[in-house]
Amino acid sequence: MDLRRILLNLKIARRSLVQFKWRTSLAVLGVFFGTFSLIIVSNLSGSLAVKTEQEIDSLGTNLLIVRSGIVRRVGAGTPLMSQATNLTPEDARAIKDSIPAVAALSAAGYKTFPVRYGNVSLKGILIGGVEPNFQDIRNFHAREGSFISEQDNLDRNKVAVLGRTVVEKLFGDEDPIGKYILIWRVPFQVIGIMEEKGSDVSGADQDNQIFIPLQTYLKVLVNKTNVSNIFVQITRDDLIPATKTDMEALLRKRHKIGPGQNDDFAVIDMKDVMALKTQAMDLITVLGRIAAAVSFIIGGLGILSIMILIVNERKLEIGIRRAVGSRKRDIILQFLIESSIISLAGGTIGVFSGALLSVILLRVLKYPFTLSLTGLLIAFGASVLVGILAGIYPSKKATQFEPVDIIRT
Amino acid sequence: MAAPVCIMENITKSFHVGDQDLQVLKGVNLTIEQGEFTAIMGTSGSGKSTLMNLMGCLDVPTSGRFILAGRDVMQLNDDELSELRNEHIGFVFQSFYLLPYATVLENVLVPTLYREKKKDHVRDRAAELLKLVGLEERMKFRPTQLSGGEQQRVAICRALINDPELLLADEPTGQLDSRTAEEIMNVLTRTNERGKTVVVITHDADIAAYARRTIHIRDGIITES
Ligand SMILES: Nc1ncnc2c1ncn2[C@@H]1O[C@H](COP(=O)(O)OP(=O)(O)OP(=O)(O)O)[C@@H](O)[C@H]1O
Ligand SMILES: [Mg+2]
Repeated sequence: MDLRRILLNLKIARRSLVQFKWRTSLAVLGVFFGTFSLIIVSNLSGSLAVKTEQEIDSLGTNLLIVRSGIVRRVGAGTPLMSQATNLTPEDARAIKDSIPAVAALSAAGYKTFPVRYGNVSLKGILIGGVEPNFQDIRNFHAREGSFISEQDNLDRNKVAVLGRTVVEKLFGDEDPIGKYILIWRVPFQVIGIMEEKGSDVSGADQDNQIFIPLQTYLKVLVNKTNVSNIFVQITRDDLIPATKTDMEALLRKRHKIGPGQNDDFAVIDMKDVMALKTQAMDLITVLGRIAAAVSFIIGGLGILSIMILIVNERKLEIGIRRAVGSRKRDIILQFLIESSIISLAGGTIGVFSGALLSVILLRVLKYPFTLSLTGLLIAFGASVLVGILAGIYPSKKATQFEPVDIIRT
Repeated sequence: MAAPVCIMENITKSFHVGDQDLQVLKGVNLTIEQGEFTAIMGTSGSGKSTLMNLMGCLDVPTSGRFILAGRDVMQLNDDELSELRNEHIGFVFQSFYLLPYATVLENVLVPTLYREKKKDHVRDRAAELLKLVGLEERMKFRPTQLSGGEQQRVAICRALINDPELLLADEPTGQLDSRTAEEIMNVLTRTNERGKTVVVITHDADIAAYARRTIHIRDGIITES
């Protein structure tokens, strides 16, 4: 049968469906909810994947973080069980020199200090002593003025680069560049302002910190030789797991940790941290899929019953069609097409309203906008499949009516 | 002369009713030549419709030899019978049997939906047929919006749309008053005059009078008058 013939048949069938308006609508509703939930779930999880990707990228490309101390828990809160003091810039140099997959690294020390400017004083601002390439490794750049230079670090210059939140709190509308602030009791000259970064994975405001040269931090502020972090950029994405193992082995050797003993450091792959976060979404996705499957089953049963009704109602039509020359398979095809169209109608409405609602949801949640194409195809495919499956039995039944039995007068 | 449209030799037809066999046709011999206009008469229950259903390949004989449009019907499977009905036979029934949800034009087009050899301009042809029976103004109507005579004329157009060799009408005027019946018989006569072989079943002698040949069926066999 070509398309023109199919269309003519559908035109005739559509008019016969009108008398089963309510039942048809109910059957359609099941399929509607099926595609509706499929679309929403696939769009939300797609968007979350994009968001996670973006967050990982904003931390720095191909980033591994070495943390001093034993990490018992990653994420929010106080993750460190014990503060080790033996992660040093020399460890950083050793990593750089002996592991070829390391592209760049920056050691960093963090500690909170009171900060003051004029008569505004802030308690507990996180001060990061960092090296110049921190900017590129963490993908976090100075937007105004300049960042810490190699010379600043070597000369232990007392210069500071402020985060946006700190600038607002200390200076308000005033231009901070060139001004002097007190960190603890030491005057630092403001040389730059960081770009806005928002909160990190653990929810901490990354704009509420101040960066100073690492050497200045170590010698002037804390008077120590150990650092709290080493940020390591790996050359290639696929080398991250192997490099992580290499770094762990190297640091265990350097820190003289024997077999069976606990590490006094942790190498963190931010992708693992993100994986935890997406687990919750995975659960929602599974639940959504189950809801979709249940809706499809209900819709399928609805279509099955409506089709049985329709076939019985149209016995005479079937007899006439058979008499004027339709083969059994033409009848089967006709009713299969009808049931898939009923199903597809519900599916299409579901797809569009699902897409609309997910756009609204993503807007409200401020998630990146994505439309999952596979979700769309699966939803359409599933509704056609439901229609065909639900149509098999009724259309087989339709061929059992022999024209002679029906047209006997 | 061309081959006969229909050759029936010693055709029997039995129905199983409960555990009994009811033999309705008991050895029918009948040849219908191309271009004939034949009436089949008989009392109610004599087997007229049974015979017509066989001639129209809606049912198959229990035994006998049956050639229709050059095909040995006893050898054909269900799909081939459908194709034969579609291409070579047109039906007109006593109660019209139009599709209630389809328009007049769509009803006429239904047989073309199943035609293997596609033909162009089927719509034009349907319109032309409807015009011949005076229904060109009613093409978008539904069957329920037509009188009985008009519905039967639509049914005749449907029977003719695939240009069949044989037009079978089972009491086509059975539900119509005598004036309308006359109209319908005139349509069938004109159809016959344009070269179609027509077979009409009736128990009305006035209707049978339109035909040039009359066959009587009684006790499961046929006699010619
Ligand atoms: N499918 C069937 N099963 C059982 N009996 C049947 C069947 N079809 C027809 N008969 C019987 O065969 C006989 C002839 O029926 P048929 O319909 O051919 O008669 P008819 O001559 O067309 O009668 P009418 O003028 O009333 O239409 C009847 O006794 C009928 O009961
Ligand atoms: Mg009859």
